[in-house]
Amino acid sequence: MKVKVATKILEANDRIARENRKIFDGAGVFVVNLMSGPGAGKTSLLEKTLAKKDGLRIGVIEGDIAGSDDAERIEIFGAPVVQINTGGACHLDANMISDVLGDLPLNELDLLFIENVGNLVCPAEFKVGEDMKVMLLSIAEGHDKPLKYPLMFQESSALVINKIDLAPYVDVDVSKIRKDALSLNPGLKMFEVSCRTGEGLDAWVQWLRETAGKHRVS
Amino acid sequence: MHEVSIAANLIEIVSEQCRKDGYKKIESIHLKIGRASGIMTDALLFAFDAIKTDSLAKDAVLMIDEVAVSGRCRDCGRNFTVEEEYVLQCPICGGASFQVSGGRELDIVDMEVS
Repeated sequence: MKVKVATKILEANDRIARENRKIFDGAGVFVVNLMSGPGAGKTSLLEKTLAKKDGLRIGVIEGDIAGSDDAERIEIFGAPVVQINTGGACHLDANMISDVLGDLPLNELDLLFIENVGNLVCPAEFKVGEDMKVMLLSIAEGHDKPLKYPLMFQESSALVINKIDLAPYVDVDVSKIRKDALSLNPGLKMFEVSCRTGEGLDAWVQWLRETAGKHRVS
Repeated sequence: MHEVSIAANLIEIVSEQCRKDGYKKIESIHLKIGRASGIMTDALLFAFDAIKTDSLAKDAVLMIDEVAVSGRCRDCGRNFTVEEEYVLQCPICGGASFQVSGGRELDIVDMEVS
């Protein structure tokens, strides 16, 4: 007997993601899925953002294959943080997020960062219930990355280009990163920052504050 | 890279529907997998066979139709289909701005049950 199924394989994940999103919306928290390759500076960006939060109530879910180093770095700032260890999985999925929601005071947060596993491919495929995806790329990774990993650039609302202070030392064409990223995703909002020197971070935090604020009003 | 997660999702969905419709066993499953889905067909077949034991799909075979990547160029306005996994520029005019419309499918079409 042939039976029609007509379902997306990721529908099970998407369904849980929608449930997560409902919980986030109910609590009035704006959720950012932060993605990048390993070592681009996701946790550093969160540290710098927390240092400039100025009344914005921020929580963090840290996703790593193993270890709790990142969560410990966030805890120093007094932000509520939960560490997920994926035990080898290359991305966070909606179910992993659903499992830890009870460990965060969602009603007391304005903004929740979900720091995904460092990987330029898989995290872009799995919704976790976020309001938007933000991608981080350090210039030392090279200007060929938008065209080599197009999906992540296409799925993101914003691109933060980090380690901009290294520009004199690495052979990278930042304008090519911007141009290729924009052609893949014409609506992409872009920031150039250095988590080491602090350059550009005010504009990023200001935009984040406005974006999360708009969400709360609507 | 995450074929095991995909296989696990697949088995969950078809098993649930099989049970709901009152059947006992899944004989085969027909999938559509886009070339730009990031999923390697061989790895998915391997993962599926490795984890299907103890499920209603334990004897099931996968039949996979690959879907080519297609899209529309924002520069020349034309539609295209390519054999490659990723499109880095419009194959017609070489433009860098295009919208990919096909090739990311990860769909279950139907299944044979008994």
